[in-house]
Amino acid sequence: MKNWTKNITSAAVAVAMSGSLLATSAQAGELTVYTALEEEEIASYVEAAKTAMPDVELNVLRLSTGKLGARLLAEADNPQADVIWGWAVTAMMDPQVLALLESYKAKGADVLGKEFRDPEDRWFAPIGYMGAFCVNTARLEQKNLPMPKSWADLKDPAFKGEILMPDPNSSGTGYLHVNAVLQSNGLEKGWGVLTDVDPNMAQYTSSGSKPCKAARAGEYAVGISLAFTAMKSIEDGYPLAMVFPEGGVGYELEASGLMASSDNKSDAKRFLDWTMTKEAQALYGKFKALITIPGVETSEAAAKAGLPSDISSILAPVNFAESAGRQKDIKKEWKERFGR
Amino acid sequence: MSQTLTTKQTAIGGRTFDSDKLLAVVCLIVPLIGLFLFFLYPMVIVFLRSITVEGGGYGLANYQEILASKGFWRATQHSLLMGGATTVVSVVLGYIIAHGLHRCVFPGKNLIRVAIVLPMLAPSLVQALGLIFIFGRNGLINRFFGLELEIYGFWGLLISNTLYALPQVVMIIGAALVLLDARIFEAAEVMGAKPSRQFRDLTLPGVIYAILSAAFVVFIITITDFGNAAVIGGDYSVLATEIYSQVIGQRNFNMGAVVGIMLLLPTVVSYYIERQAMKRQQNQKATNIQPYVPRFYGKRDVPMAMANYVIAAMIVLVIGVVVYASFVKLWPYNYSLTTKHYFITLAGGYSSLWVTIWISICAATLGTLAVFVLGVGLRRASAVLTQPIQVLASMPAAVPGMVLGLAYILTFNSTSTPLYLLYGSAALIAAVNFYHYHTQAFMTIMTGFRQFPSELEEAGESLGAGLGRISFNIIAPFVTPMLISIFFFLFMRSMVTLSAVVFLTTPKLSVAAVTIMRLDDAGLTSQAAAFSTAVMVVVGLALLGMKGILVLVQTHKARVKGA
Repeated sequence: MKNWTKNITSAAVAVAMSGSLLATSAQAGELTVYTALEEEEIASYVEAAKTAMPDVELNVLRLSTGKLGARLLAEADNPQADVIWGWAVTAMMDPQVLALLESYKAKGADVLGKEFRDPEDRWFAPIGYMGAFCVNTARLEQKNLPMPKSWADLKDPAFKGEILMPDPNSSGTGYLHVNAVLQSNGLEKGWGVLTDVDPNMAQYTSSGSKPCKAARAGEYAVGISLAFTAMKSIEDGYPLAMVFPEGGVGYELEASGLMASSDNKSDAKRFLDWTMTKEAQALYGKFKALITIPGVETSEAAAKAGLPSDISSILAPVNFAESAGRQKDIKKEWKERFGR
Repeated sequence: MSQTLTTKQTAIGGRTFDSDKLLAVVCLIVPLIGLFLFFLYPMVIVFLRSITVEGGGYGLANYQEILASKGFWRATQHSLLMGGATTVVSVVLGYIIAHGLHRCVFPGKNLIRVAIVLPMLAPSLVQALGLIFIFGRNGLINRFFGLELEIYGFWGLLISNTLYALPQVVMIIGAALVLLDARIFEAAEVMGAKPSRQFRDLTLPGVIYAILSAAFVVFIITITDFGNAAVIGGDYSVLATEIYSQVIGQRNFNMGAVVGIMLLLPTVVSYYIERQAMKRQQNQKATNIQPYVPRFYGKRDVPMAMANYVIAAMIVLVIGVVVYASFVKLWPYNYSLTTKHYFITLAGGYSSLWVTIWISICAATLGTLAVFVLGVGLRRASAVLTQPIQVLASMPAAVPGMVLGLAYILTFNSTSTPLYLLYGSAALIAAVNFYHYHTQAFMTIMTGFRQFPSELEEAGESLGAGLGRISFNIIAPFVTPMLISIFFFLFMRSMVTLSAVVFLTTPKLSVAAVTIMRLDDAGLTSQAAAFSTAVMVVVGLALLGMKGILVLVQTHKARVKGA
C-alpha cells in the first residue's frame, strides 16, 4: 500500500515539475527576431532599438547562417519569428525562404541601390560582411613562406598543406569565396584558379570561421575565412594578418525582412524601419566593414585592419541574384571537382 | 507487520493477480508512450520527409539521388571503418578500465573513476580544443619534440571518438562486472583455477552480454557523431558530415533525412547480430550475489594498474590543458595567467547554467525512472512484444542529434496536434536530452536486469509479493548501482549536449551548451573554454552533492535496518 502511495506521489511530483517547465506563451508587444549578425553588434543595436521602442519587448535568437536556415525551414509550418534580421542574402533568396516573407517597404530603404533590395520588397540589405585570408605571420616566418596577396599566390607549392578553406556545400562563407572567384574571373578561368589551389588545401572545413581560428592558433598558415573573425583575432593579439585577395574580395549582404506569419506586424515593421534610421546607421559605422547605404562611413576598426576607405574598389563584382540562382549547380560542380 | 497483512488480504481476495497484470501493462505502456511520442513519431515525420520529393508528393527519388552519389559511398565506407575501429579500441580500453576498477587491486581507483567521467561532463568543445592543444600541428607535443605529427583525419578522429565512447563502455561493462557473484570465483580458486583461467571461463562469459551491448552502443554513436568529425576529422568525410552538408549547408532537410534514415539500418543489423550471438550464450545467475572483493595478484594487477593510470592520465591531460588554457592570456602565444576570460561578455552571462541544471535533473530523474519501469515491464511481457520493443528502445542513439533536433521542431511546432504546447519549453529540452541518450540508459539497465536472478522474483511471488513490491523491494535494490550510473550519465550529458538542443532553445530559454557555442561563434574561444570549465566545476559539485545525499540515505537505511 505504502509503495503505491509513494508511486503516486512521485508521479504527481514529476507532472508538477514538467508543468513548471512549460513555456509561457507570447504576449502582445513582443517581437521575436531571428538573426545571424555577430553577438557584439547585436547587443549594441538591441540596446538602441529598445530605447527607440520602449513599449516593445525584443526577443532575439542568434544562430549561425546555416543553422538559422535549417531552423527557419523546419518551423515553416508554424513560424515563430516575426522578423528575419541580418541574414545572408544568398540564403534569403532561397525560394523556400522567400515564400515565408511578406513584402514591406521599410522607411528609408529606398535610398539603397537596386542590387541591395528585393524587387518585390521582401528583403533589403543595408549592411554586409566580407571574406578575407587570415594569415598567421608567426607560422609564415617559421615556414619561410611569402605573404600571399591573391588567390594566385596560393598556388605556390610551398603552401602545400598550409591552407584551410570552408566547404561551400556546408558553409555560406565557403560559397562566398568560391562565388567571388568565379564571378570576378569568369567561370572557366575561375574554376582554373580553384583547381590550381586545390592541391595545397589541407582541409575543406564545414564551418566558415574555423579556418581563421585554426590559422590564428598556428595550426595552419592561411585560413580562407571571414574579415570579422580576422579583425577580432587581431584585436585579441594573435599574430595574424588580414589579407583581402587582389582581384576581388568575396562579400555577402545581410538582409532583413518581415515574416508573413507574424502576429505583430505593426511592431515588426517599426523594428525594420528602425534598422534604416540615422541612429542605426551610426552604429553600423562602428561595427561594419560593408555598408550599402550611400554616404555612411565604415568602421574605424575596419580602417585600422587595412580596409580601404572606398571599399567598392576591392570587392569582387558579385551579382547576388545570379549567385543565389546558380548556387545549386556551382556547389554540385564544386563537389564533383574537389569533394574529398 | 501491517504490510504483510495487507498483502495477505489481497492475495486471499485474488486481486494480486489482476493488479499485477495491470501494473505490468502500465509499466510497459507508460514508457512506451514516451518512446512513441518523443522518438518514434518524430522519426516517422523524418521518414516522410525523406520520401518527399521536389515539388511535393512521395517517391524514392531522394534515395536514388543519394545512392547514386560518389560522396555518399565514400562517407559510408569511412563511417563503417571508423565505427569498427572505434568500437574495437574503446571496448578493449574500456574493458581494461572496468576490469581494473571492479576486479583488481591497486591504489588510486577513485581518481580513475573521476578521470573516466570527465569526457562525459566536458562540453564537446573542451575535448576538441584539448586534442588540438596537445596533438595539433602547433600543439604541445609537436612543438616540444620538434615533430610534424598530423592529427587531422583518421587518427585524430579515432582518438576523439574513443575518448567520447570510453566512459559509456565503462558504464555498461561495469554494470555487469559489479554483479558477478564472488562465490563462484572463490570456488574456482579453491579448485586451483588461476586468475587467467577464471577470467576466461568465468568472468568473460559472465560479461559477454555487456561487452556486446557496449560494442553496439559505441558503433552507433560513432557513426552518427558530427562534432568530432567536424573538428578533427579533417577531410575524412563521414555520414554525419554528409547530413550536415545537406541540412545546414544546402537547406535541404529532405536529403539529410534520407541519410538519417539510412543510419538506422546498421543499428538494426548490429542489433540483430548481437541478439544472435547472445542466443548461444548461456547465462549464469546466482540467487544471492556476494560482492566480489579482489585480492592482490601481482602478475595481473601491476600491468592493469599501469594501463589504467595511462588511460586516465591521457584523459586528464586532454581536459586539463583546456582548463589551464582558460586561465592563460592568449594560448599558445602568451602564457601569462589571468582570470579575465571568466568575465563572460555575452549578454546573460552565466544565467543559462542554472536553468540547465534544472533541466538536467528533470531529464535524469524521469529518464532513470522510465528505463527502470520499462525494464520491469519487459520482464513480464510476452516474447512477441519484447523483441520489437527492445529494438525500438535501443534505436535513439542511431539518430544524429541534428536530425533529432530538427525532427522535434517538425513534430512539436505543428499546430495540428496539442503537442505544440511543448514547443519552446524546457520540458521539451529535457525530453530530447533523455531520448537522445535512451539507448545507453536502456542498455545499462538491461545489463543489470539480465543478471537478476529470477529465483528471487519467484521467491518473492511465492511469499505473496505483487509486482510493485518485487520491483521496489527486490529488483530496484539489486540494480541500484545501474540506476545511479544512469542518473549521473543522463545528468552529465544533459548538462553539456548541444547537437539536438541547439534547435530547441528560444530567445528566452537558452542552455549552457548553447552559450558555449555562441561564445565560440563570436570568436571568444578563451571565454568559451572558461565557461566550459565553470560548467565542469558546477557539474562536478552537483555530482558530489548528489553522491553525498545518496551516502546519507544509504547509511540511514542501514541504520534503520540494523535497528
